[in-house]
Amino acid sequence: MQRITKISQTLKNWLNPKNPVLQKAIQQTVEEGLFSMEDVEFQLNVLRENVENGEIQEWIKRAGLNDRQNAKGEKVLCLHAGNLPLVGFQTALGVILSGAGYYGKLSRKDPYLLGSFLKEMQNLKLDQQIKFSTDLNAFQQLNADAVVFAGSETSVPQVKNKISKLKAALKEANYIIRTAKFSIAYLDEWNEQVKCELTEAMLRYGGKGCRSVALVVAKFELDEVKEELLSEMQEFWEKNPQHQKPQPELKYQYAYNKGIQRNQLWLEDFLIQETDEFPETNFTVNWVRGDEEKVRSLRMNFGNVVQSVYTTGAEINGLKTEPLSKAQKPPLWWKPDGVDVVRILLKSIDN
Amino acid sequence: MIKPDFIFKEDLTFEDKAIRIFEFQREHNPAYQRFCEALEIGEVHDLDQIPLLPIKAFKDSDIITAKDHSEFKIEDLEFFQSSGTSGMVRSRHYLMDPEIYRQSIIRGMQYFYDLDDFVIWAYTPGYSSNPNSSLIWMLNMLIERDGSGLSRFLELNKPLDESEVQKATESGKKLMLFGAAFGLLDLVEMKETELPDESIVMETGGMKTHRREMSREELHRRLANGFGIPMSNIHSEYGMTELLSQAYNPGGYWFGTPPWMKVTIRNPKNPMEEVKIGEEGLIGVMDLANLYSCSFILTGDKGIQVGGGKFQVLGRWNPQNLRGCNFLIDRD
Repeated sequence: MQRITKISQTLKNWLNPKNPVLQKAIQQTVEEGLFSMEDVEFQLNVLRENVENGEIQEWIKRAGLNDRQNAKGEKVLCLHAGNLPLVGFQTALGVILSGAGYYGKLSRKDPYLLGSFLKEMQNLKLDQQIKFSTDLNAFQQLNADAVVFAGSETSVPQVKNKISKLKAALKEANYIIRTAKFSIAYLDEWNEQVKCELTEAMLRYGGKGCRSVALVVAKFELDEVKEELLSEMQEFWEKNPQHQKPQPELKYQYAYNKGIQRNQLWLEDFLIQETDEFPETNFTVNWVRGDEEKVRSLRMNFGNVVQSVYTTGAEINGLKTEPLSKAQKPPLWWKPDGVDVVRILLKSIDN
Repeated sequence: MIKPDFIFKEDLTFEDKAIRIFEFQREHNPAYQRFCEALEIGEVHDLDQIPLLPIKAFKDSDIITAKDHSEFKIEDLEFFQSSGTSGMVRSRHYLMDPEIYRQSIIRGMQYFYDLDDFVIWAYTPGYSSNPNSSLIWMLNMLIERDGSGLSRFLELNKPLDESEVQKATESGKKLMLFGAAFGLLDLVEMKETELPDESIVMETGGMKTHRREMSREELHRRLANGFGIPMSNIHSEYGMTELLSQAYNPGGYWFGTPPWMKVTIRNPKNPMEEVKIGEEGLIGVMDLANLYSCSFILTGDKGIQVGGGKFQVLGRWNPQNLRGCNFLIDRD
């Protein structure tokens, strides 16, 4: 596994805050207004911590990757969405670790950061292809064995159609489609730490991304903690100004809530509202008073659009949960849609 | 006070009437008033400035426009309720003045059809088993209004009786058969029955609630074959619990509205804004017959529109596309 050591070391070097290549990528990203400096730095710090903690080795162990069991010779096409900085990083790293050829369609909204990492990987001259572009047409006739992307009911057919037209993947290719859209937080207590963790989980990256909390089930009403939450959120924004502004639909939702007299916390650029409905729009968190049974029932109702259920320590019978503190700081091996990308690539090739 | 006749007045433009009704509802409908206030919308001068209330409001609140100190009691009012399973929150539309609904149905149908030339058949549950359905109320009224005695609710799960078809034809009237999309399909699958050439089969929606997946075009083709009439005689009605007027598609795929109803297609990211002609968006409806509830409604349906106001219904808008990670060919 010398290869893994090389990848690990190169990743460490790339993440070094003094690395001029990374510095340039950050500068371009921020200057072009793609993401805020605070969000980019936060994401990079999470990755630095992951690597420092030896999580690459841990991931390899968890996935069962070794010299005999790997995905060498396979071609994996990854289509990366760009709603938060480095959102495709974990998939790209996972594919490279697996030994498969990595072919990445980078998002036009996040081309520099991931691009600079992939260039370093190319320079390693590993025994596997690493290619990337912001243009899907670059992968014409690729005939990939597997395709990974985040999609929804309506976008999937369109993407598959385009891939088929380009012959970018084999007809029988394994499609690994991520459908998760948001996460749920269950709060059975309220204190400084919970307040701080919840705020980070809701507001980091503008609440975008499937690990962000968009639904809170709490043992108490929103009104009971409204004031404290408001000041914590304002404090968060002072340190991390919200990069993107919501569309007018958010004010429309606020006005609707006023109309039907629904309890809410309106912050102009963000809305928390008391309802157990599906959280439809960005910059919105739905809050419902309930217990563990309520969490189970909502998790079941919303099905595969829920990424994770976070708690502040409580176990919920019958549900896999994660600590709320890890919402925006997941381990390197976290499973989007419950799927370990390395493991699934090994499995699909075994089959 | 606006009198119900005002809705149907032909010497006033739609815009003039809509603006007056907007002011009336903004003043006397508490939920709509709060909604407008939160959007900072006061007096308006054209239709574009009128906000459309999301249709869910009929589930989440009582949507009633009544003058201050009105003597009505909500528990005494007749109401329509959307269908749904137990435990589901259902829309409720209070009917302050049933005569408005009656007028809207008759005048609306007369706008598209020579109503008096038709015998009305309804392949739907009867009024007694479903008194809170606005569609059944409408069909019951149309049936009772026809003095020939030939109009009626048909027995469910029983094929059409050819001798009854014959009787209707001999009366010199044409036949108009109403039914939900897949209910009508069940009917022809039980037994194909040839209807007279000039008959109209009126499909009242329900495409999205059924077990079968089928395009509207395929459904209409099968109905035309099953009833032995041209495809152009398979029509559709677009109505819902929350509206007291209906749009009709008299053959083809485009719906038209009566003069007191106007449809626009709205940008889901900014419902105050109309999308460009031919672009998909949320169907917005201004239905002046909703005088005592709310006339300005943002539906949850997806649609497109061509010049002249005609529109197509493309199913339910899927809100799950709006948030989270989603790779999009044209954006990513």
